[in-house]
Amino acid sequence: VIERVDAAALMRDIEAEAGSRLRAQLVRSGAAGYQDAAVYEDVRAVLRRAVDGRPGGSLLLPELLGADEPWALDPDLHLSSHRPLTGRALVFTKKRILLPLARWLFEYAQENFRRQQRINQALMACLEELAIENARLRRELESLATRR
Amino acid sequence: VKLACVVHRFGADIAGGSEGHCRLVAEQLAASHDVTVLTTTARDHVTWANRFAPGESAYGGAKVHRFTVDRQRDLHRFRDLSARIAGGRAAAAEEEQWFAENGPRSSALLDYLQRRGREYDLILFWAYRYAHSYFGLPLVRERAVLVPTAEDDPLVHASVLTDYFALPRGVLFLTPEEETLIGDLLPRSTPRVVVGCGVDPPPTADRRLLQRFNLPDCCAVYVGRIDPNKGCTALFEYFAWYAASHPEIALVLAGPANMPIPRHPAIRHLGYVDDRIRDALLAHARVLIQPSRYESLSLVLLEAWNHGTPALVNARCAVLKGQVERADGGLHYRDRFEFAAALDYLLAHPDVGRKLGAQGREYVDREYRWPTVMSKIEALLNDIAGSARAPQSC
Repeated sequence: VIERVDAAALMRDIEAEAGSRLRAQLVRSGAAGYQDAAVYEDVRAVLRRAVDGRPGGSLLLPELLGADEPWALDPDLHLSSHRPLTGRALVFTKKRILLPLARWLFEYAQENFRRQQRINQALMACLEELAIENARLRRELESLATRR
Repeated sequence: VKLACVVHRFGADIAGGSEGHCRLVAEQLAASHDVTVLTTTARDHVTWANRFAPGESAYGGAKVHRFTVDRQRDLHRFRDLSARIAGGRAAAAEEEQWFAENGPRSSALLDYLQRRGREYDLILFWAYRYAHSYFGLPLVRERAVLVPTAEDDPLVHASVLTDYFALPRGVLFLTPEEETLIGDLLPRSTPRVVVGCGVDPPPTADRRLLQRFNLPDCCAVYVGRIDPNKGCTALFEYFAWYAASHPEIALVLAGPANMPIPRHPAIRHLGYVDDRIRDALLAHARVLIQPSRYESLSLVLLEAWNHGTPALVNARCAVLKGQVERADGGLHYRDRFEFAAALDYLLAHPDVGRKLGAQGREYVDREYRWPTVMSKIEALLNDIAGSARAPQSC
């Protein structure tokens, strides 16, 4: 008779098992660096922290990139015209006739822009996590060198 | 106490988490209060087309007053605004437009709240994301109680909600995670309580009802709307990958499909099923899979536990993970390897699976029986109604 199952403890075992299977597959596929389980766990922890813990707006890199030169994806369609007299008619035609006809293509592109944006966000977060780790290690090295 | 429950759609056959929650709570409240449900004539949550007759009717001890929807949703406009919200690019005016476009916009309902709202002691609003709540609650803020049914999606971070969440006199949350998500936006003095949803003890499940489906003994089930927004795309991908090396298990889907279902020998779609088959399915299953990333409660999770069935849930949804951990009622996964390892474990250890399911049922007994849920709701309503009646001191 099972008295009580501690789901959290069980999950720790399952997560370890899943991590081990994933590592084995990566190693089989040629990622030799993951043969060392400790290295794999460290890498996984850094990447997971980046993907999980960095919602939009909490990254340094986009702030440094600034807004002078556009770099972020802009999936919105801005319809306008520079013609003073016929402009309103042209915008009306684009919005009411041309856009509905091309709607399927617009939405297909927009969905892919969204996916690209998610990946960009994740990659920037990973880059920052690695930069933070690198900065910490550099400081530790410098501190060790000073002590000597 | 004279109460109004305001919800975007209402009816016994209307599926939907917040609509169902409102209906069940209104029924319970009607046993001891004068309850009127204020709702629209819409049946379909995508278009908001007027389908019910406007006017008054009755349901389960409550009065129901339906108001006509002004216009159907412009899906293109709605998608464009949603994309801007999701990308964090929407200005405050566009966020307001999103709520108007999300609908259902009913001038008649808003006019009624404006003119006759003060006839009610308290007015409960379900689901902050819909127009009836977003535009209706501010009209009667001094007597409003909000049931936000909020999920951790981009909308909840909209700037206009900071002012909105400060308005109601009290808030009923469905889970502790929902309270964590928006609790900081409420004034400290706003009364609040986590109530969840009541669940009746399980009916005896008649497994013979499943004979005509010829299901294998080893089944994982998904119950609910089959939709990419419910995590079904990842579910199909992960399950097909798993089933390639585990032909003994089948994934059984019960619910209306809003997306193509892959043609796979181990994936069975039963379509919409009635409550008796649903109960039999939940009782028969080896595990319930809940792949959704955005949930404010998940009633089907409680129903599975009610039948003693363990759950395997998406760990990226804080609510589902939190529920499973509090209940010790199942396992969770973040990727296909964890999905496979968890299923492997449950299939190899059916006794542990049954125990997890039994622990889930104990959790439901402890937290989600109607007397427990209603005592929390009544205490909050009495608190607010009492403070409204108390003389104000200078």
